[in-house]
Amino acid sequence: MTGTYATVITVVALLLAGWALIAAAMNRRPTLLLFAGAVLLEALLLVFAVGGVVQMTGSDRHFARAEFVGYLLGCLAIPPLAFYWARGERSRSGTLVIALAFLITPVMVLRVQQVWAGTVG
Amino acid sequence: MADPVVDPRPRHTPAPTGQGFGRFLVAIYGLFAIAATSRSAVQLATEFNKAPLAYLLSAFAAVVYIVATVSLARGDATSRRLATWAISIELAGVLIVGAASVLSPSVFQHPTVWTGFGSGYGFVPLLLPFVGLWWLRHTR
Repeated sequence: MTGTYATVITVVALLLAGWALIAAAMNRRPTLLLFAGAVLLEALLLVFAVGGVVQMTGSDRHFARAEFVGYLLGCLAIPPLAFYWARGERSRSGTLVIALAFLITPVMVLRVQQVWAGTVG
Repeated sequence: MADPVVDPRPRHTPAPTGQGFGRFLVAIYGLFAIAATSRSAVQLATEFNKAPLAYLLSAFAAVVYIVATVSLARGDATSRRLATWAISIELAGVLIVGAASVLSPSVFQHPTVWTGFGSGYGFVPLLLPFVGLWWLRHTR
């Protein structure tokens, strides 16, 4: 749960965020490619969530399991919500909404890891 | 804020509050709505007895953020009025709770979104109501 895969998601999300922020700075409305980025991130998060639940059920360690699952579901909810809300926006604000989703994802992944490690929750 | 009741229909339609910059603002409000709701749900469910005041405040803040998000996103005349109320309450909340938490920290050992003027969230909770009210004025 704290492994390489979480790092990969974090790096991808930050790269996507940088891209989205540059696009917003250049006054671009969200492009199809940016939405594709959100779909890619969602796919990565889906694997993360499934892996997390599988690891959780295979572990008899004591940690805040409900919160763990809650944060995983929270991760999964972000890209679709941003996708839905940014769709149809004809200004850079739509791009910023997507950027926000990309920026929150690493924070959420970090929280997942913290709950898994038992340092919070 | 509220137009007088006897006023005829406004001659111009106000700009929608959920588009343009509002699209981004609603996303930020939505983020706080989700964060505050999940946080207070966990607090109320698992450790309500530890700090009832703080946790009820968290739940109250969550409701305020939800109302602000939905009404800003909808942006019709009623929603606009509702948003103005919600964001005004949000402003009062962050100022009162912020000041109270600085003056008597012992009461606020268990943090809420508004503790320390939202210092746990980069002071965004303090900034947000000002931006929200400005946006409502701007789009009027």
